[in-house]
Amino acid sequence: MTQVNPEFAEKLEDFGVDTTTDCFNCGTCAAICPLIYEHFPRKIIRYVQIGAKDRILDNYEDLWKCLHCGLCIQTCPREADPGDIIMGLRRFVVDQWRRS
Amino acid sequence: MYNPRYIIDVLADNIRKTRNPFGAGNGTVNKWWKGVNLRTEGDAMLYTGLMYQLMPYIKKTTKQIEKFEDTTLADYVGLQKYVPKVMVKSAFVFMASRKDKEYFGGILRNIVKLLERSGVDFFYRPKLDYYSGILLYDLGDLQGFIEHAKFVAGKLKEKGIRKVITVDPHTTYALKVLYPKYTGINFEVKTYFERLNFKGNGYGKQVTLHDPCFYGRYLELSDVPARILDEFGIENVKVRNSGKFTGCCGGPAESISPALTKEILSRRYADLKETGKPIVAMCPICLGNLIKAGADVQDLSALLADCA
Repeated sequence: MTQVNPEFAEKLEDFGVDTTTDCFNCGTCAAICPLIYEHFPRKIIRYVQIGAKDRILDNYEDLWKCLHCGLCIQTCPREADPGDIIMGLRRFVVDQWRRS
Repeated sequence: MYNPRYIIDVLADNIRKTRNPFGAGNGTVNKWWKGVNLRTEGDAMLYTGLMYQLMPYIKKTTKQIEKFEDTTLADYVGLQKYVPKVMVKSAFVFMASRKDKEYFGGILRNIVKLLERSGVDFFYRPKLDYYSGILLYDLGDLQGFIEHAKFVAGKLKEKGIRKVITVDPHTTYALKVLYPKYTGINFEVKTYFERLNFKGNGYGKQVTLHDPCFYGRYLELSDVPARILDEFGIENVKVRNSGKFTGCCGGPAESISPALTKEILSRRYADLKETGKPIVAMCPICLGNLIKAGADVQDLSALLADCA
């Protein structure tokens, strides 16, 4: 069972991400994303919002599928910068590796 | 897909020890300027960030990693960091083809011609022309990127460099946006096409500009090359998605998954082909990928030099 941890979004501020809670999960990012892959990045941002850190870490390779092309950042109606949230998660994961 | 951890570890180790993402010697890679009459003092430094020079090596390396993606051998890629750098550097001496080196070096020589024709006061110092480290930033190794950026920015500052002229979107973004943010050192950064000030003759030509993501969205510079084409009398037959809504060539995924790059590239190439016109690229990664896809494509500098 995944434990809900609303503090995870705050933790990501250490990695340059402070827009996670701005996202209202409309899915515009998933619709414009060239990956066309399992509601990416909307689903991952939802995981961050509920603090499902384990879900993210279990599927960390998905984070590196992002091209950081910026289309989602350009089109997000909430200016939540979805691509930058993915970038912040990469930094978080790399930091976890370096600490392990 | 390769394990990102192995790829990041190898790239970070190479950059830390050799200042080059492949572990190649910068002197081996950066030879385009030999035989070109370039000044070593002036108003602004031409700063290539080695991106065009690395393309022949990226082409070779990608061919290799394409073969092993999603095989059991893929996990051994991380062992590359244990190979002594002197051996890695030696391997790079013979790695790229002369034809590819000539092609990508020619793009930089065209840029020199265009700047000279525009009367720009510029100079070049190959030993100060370092890779920007942008790949580490893109892959999420922020600490590795900051360490390298501080090294590069520090070297430039030490030599009194304040103005730079860049040639590709990735290096431009690194020096213009990321270096001030993460190193505290600011440069006045302009792309070479922002410095052009003459009107060539390309009347009757029709092309389709492929805006790279970094010029189209992050730097919002797409209007500049479009205006230059207009001033040269060259018609830009617009692709469906351009400027702020340009499509990615797939390049950023190449080090982790060449298969994913191929998939994204095929979609963008399909869009570009719809215009039926020759494609013009402004980024070495986009150019290399479109060549690989079999496109009728040339670099913006080549087109402008032809019409100068």
